[in-house]
Amino acid sequence: MLPYGPGTVRTAGKEAGVLTYRFRRTIATAVVAAMVLSVLGLVGCQPAGQGDGEKSDEPAKGGTMTFFIVEPAFIDPYNAQESEGVQVVQAVFDSLTAIDPISGKAIPAAAASWEPNADATVWTFKLVEGAKFHDGTPVTAKDFVYAFNRIATSPNKIPDAASEIAYHLSPIKGFDEAGEKGTDMAGVKAIDDMTLEITLSYSWGDFAYVLAHPAFGPVPQAAVEKDPKAFADMPVGNGPFKMAEPWKHDQYVKVVADPDYYGDKPFIDGVDFTIFKDEETAFREFQAGTVDFTEIPQGQIQTSIETYGESKDGWTVNPGEQVLIGPEAAIYYYSFNVADPVMKDVKVRQALSMAINRQALADTVYEGTREPADSFIPKGMLGYEPGIWPETTYDLEGAKKLLAEAGYPEGKGLPEIKINFNTGGGHEKPMELISSDWAKLGIKTKSEGLEFPQHIDKMQSHKYQVGRAGWIADYPIMDNFTYPEFLSTSADNWSGFKDLEVDAALEKARATIDEDARIKAYQDIEKKIAAASPVAPLVWYAHRHVGSERLNDFVYDNIGLGHFEKVWLTPEEPASK
Amino acid sequence: MGQYILRRLLQFIPVFLGVTLVLFVLTRVIPGDPVKLLAGERSQDPVVYEAITKAYGLDKPILVQYVNYLGSIVKGDFGQSIATSREVTTIFKEKYPYTVKLALAAIFVEIIIGIGAGVISALRPYSFLDALVTLSTSVLVSLPVFWLGMLLQYFFGIWLKRWTGATLYLPISGAHSATFPDWVHLILPAVTLASVSTAYAARIMRSQLLEVQGQDYVRTAYAKGLSSRAVLWGHSMKNALIPVVTFVALDLGAMLSGAILTETVFNWPGIGYTIFSAIGKRDWPVVIGSTIIVTLVFMVINLVVDIGYAFLDPRIRYDESKA
Repeated sequence: MLPYGPGTVRTAGKEAGVLTYRFRRTIATAVVAAMVLSVLGLVGCQPAGQGDGEKSDEPAKGGTMTFFIVEPAFIDPYNAQESEGVQVVQAVFDSLTAIDPISGKAIPAAAASWEPNADATVWTFKLVEGAKFHDGTPVTAKDFVYAFNRIATSPNKIPDAASEIAYHLSPIKGFDEAGEKGTDMAGVKAIDDMTLEITLSYSWGDFAYVLAHPAFGPVPQAAVEKDPKAFADMPVGNGPFKMAEPWKHDQYVKVVADPDYYGDKPFIDGVDFTIFKDEETAFREFQAGTVDFTEIPQGQIQTSIETYGESKDGWTVNPGEQVLIGPEAAIYYYSFNVADPVMKDVKVRQALSMAINRQALADTVYEGTREPADSFIPKGMLGYEPGIWPETTYDLEGAKKLLAEAGYPEGKGLPEIKINFNTGGGHEKPMELISSDWAKLGIKTKSEGLEFPQHIDKMQSHKYQVGRAGWIADYPIMDNFTYPEFLSTSADNWSGFKDLEVDAALEKARATIDEDARIKAYQDIEKKIAAASPVAPLVWYAHRHVGSERLNDFVYDNIGLGHFEKVWLTPEEPASK
Repeated sequence: MGQYILRRLLQFIPVFLGVTLVLFVLTRVIPGDPVKLLAGERSQDPVVYEAITKAYGLDKPILVQYVNYLGSIVKGDFGQSIATSREVTTIFKEKYPYTVKLALAAIFVEIIIGIGAGVISALRPYSFLDALVTLSTSVLVSLPVFWLGMLLQYFFGIWLKRWTGATLYLPISGAHSATFPDWVHLILPAVTLASVSTAYAARIMRSQLLEVQGQDYVRTAYAKGLSSRAVLWGHSMKNALIPVVTFVALDLGAMLSGAILTETVFNWPGIGYTIFSAIGKRDWPVVIGSTIIVTLVFMVINLVVDIGYAFLDPRIRYDESKA
């Protein structure tokens, strides 16, 4: 799950959006004006929900919620890779654990309880009794064993559709052999129908959080093997909602509440995931009243807040508090290639980082909806510590001093710095702003904007000097922002940062079972990384979503998943004709 | 005639080979590895990378890939999408009916309004109606399609819905809904897609008809005592229509290859956007497969148009007399 992961589809959508930016502004103003007129002039035409109804405490039952997604690649858990696919899988399947959107902690889902052993290498799960798949067969530990092996063995057994999310299972013992030879993983065992045992090849205290990922849901073997293609379009799960009909590609995915669900039943009857090509059309459908939850196109966030009201916590939609701009577990940053002759000097990197006016970036480019990052680990996550990364504080004088110490007083002697970014994703404006910040240090910059695939190639092969990057959490844990990004041997370590002490500390933190001690360990690691400044954190990604007036208690959490199990819809008033 | 058609059909073969070759080379020249792209910005598991690359034959030399591909196409196998593992033919069967529906609806609009407006303004040149047609065609030609589409959406979908208290409005996206019959969903996208061509069709119709109306044989027809309606439909229109038919038919061909902008604005599930997004993902089987089928459709339409000329204009003959 990464920014623009599924793609270039979304990137392309954003590109089109840029072209029409000015027009949309005008139209948006016109729409607002029209709405004001209709409220003033035509009384009774549009009941303004928040005004006339005191919110009843008792959630109403019934109704179908319409939710915007772009076409997913897969909705079968074995390859659900991007947020839109995961969104559907999450409604249809229950993993062993779940993440509570409010506390950020792992809570029971398909597993009623779990227990790690002393060094967090063997995890034992007790499943919920009486749980059933949507086809009526009982959910047993064997279904998890089958589901996990189905993913892990896919490169060998179904190479043309090898699972892109198999790596989530890589901590499990026997994972590598499963991919290469097609053998079942030694580390997953059904002790009995209700007990599942997972053995890891290394200690991982956070594993209960990892298991909340939708890849860890059970699948019924018989239903898959009867017709894998049919299953891919109409998966049979164990979650609160079941597929109402097969996925209508590029049009919709419809799910309805399963009356036999073992857990708390949702208030709503179902969810229509309406598939749009981009958020522009989805937002117009929202304005027309046919979509309940959607993304707000860039440039319309402020007007939307004025029209629909801002959510109190940034993640929950209620009538009159409908616009969400809460931070996501995702960071936008610039990566320095530490192997570069200029960038290898830590003082240069620190100076560049300190010279960036992140507040201005957040206010101008992102209309104040994104917050300047003062840590690589986003705000809102368990363990986030404000100001842990001092080089994120804007300090032009300090930057000048550091640059002089590095041997480039007022930028003299420093060759032109090249910034790499990918075109069409709205990365031009931040780049221009940062260039002008660096110009104040006397530094000249040039930029290279490439298409997404080429950009990724350059960054992954370390053929760049400074480059834009982003990271969205797979799991909302601190490990996910440190281990893949800064472990010296990790393929996702674009900066090439290498510190053997940090490597050792990262492994040690994983093996720490006590949660508070673990969090402390990651905070220490982040401080160390910050001192070396291999990257410059810029802003945290934030929601820019809006819900309709009839949504109550709808949580769209910081990893971008909507929680349909708690939402309820204000019943429709008798139509005012 | 039969021989002519046969000859044209034989010409399909080199065109087809050329198209596939160009597509193949182009798709390999563009940087970006489709398998790597599946992982987005994340690095990819090497085992997964190798498995997928091998499964799609991407590890073989281009020439071998090309020959293999041609071999399977002949058997009707267009391969499967790298991104979603779905058969290209399945995707095509799913999307193409929508493209055809939209194209036919747009052509219908183009013929009725375009030709109608052209005839009216030609019959009353420099009248108020003529000026109105000229003005509106100028406006339509210069309006970007996506802009017009959004304007229509705001007017018919949002404003009208509010003003009429949701009693009278049009659906603004998608192809189906519980509220409207399917054909209503076609109205806005069809009008939008047809807009520019309708304006051109009207202009061509007008100028052609004006020209023909001044010809000697038309004067003769009037002199024979024919009614102006008989002259118009029996003599003038037949000749004046030839360039219009060419234009409309080629336009149909273009529309049948998908309409990316219209499909995007109206969220229409057609083939154009599918190909467009597949390019972004470097999903070559989908790009090449769909483009080949679309090319074939275009060639067939071209052939039908050429044959159609013979019926419209007796002077055009496709016999072998010229040797």
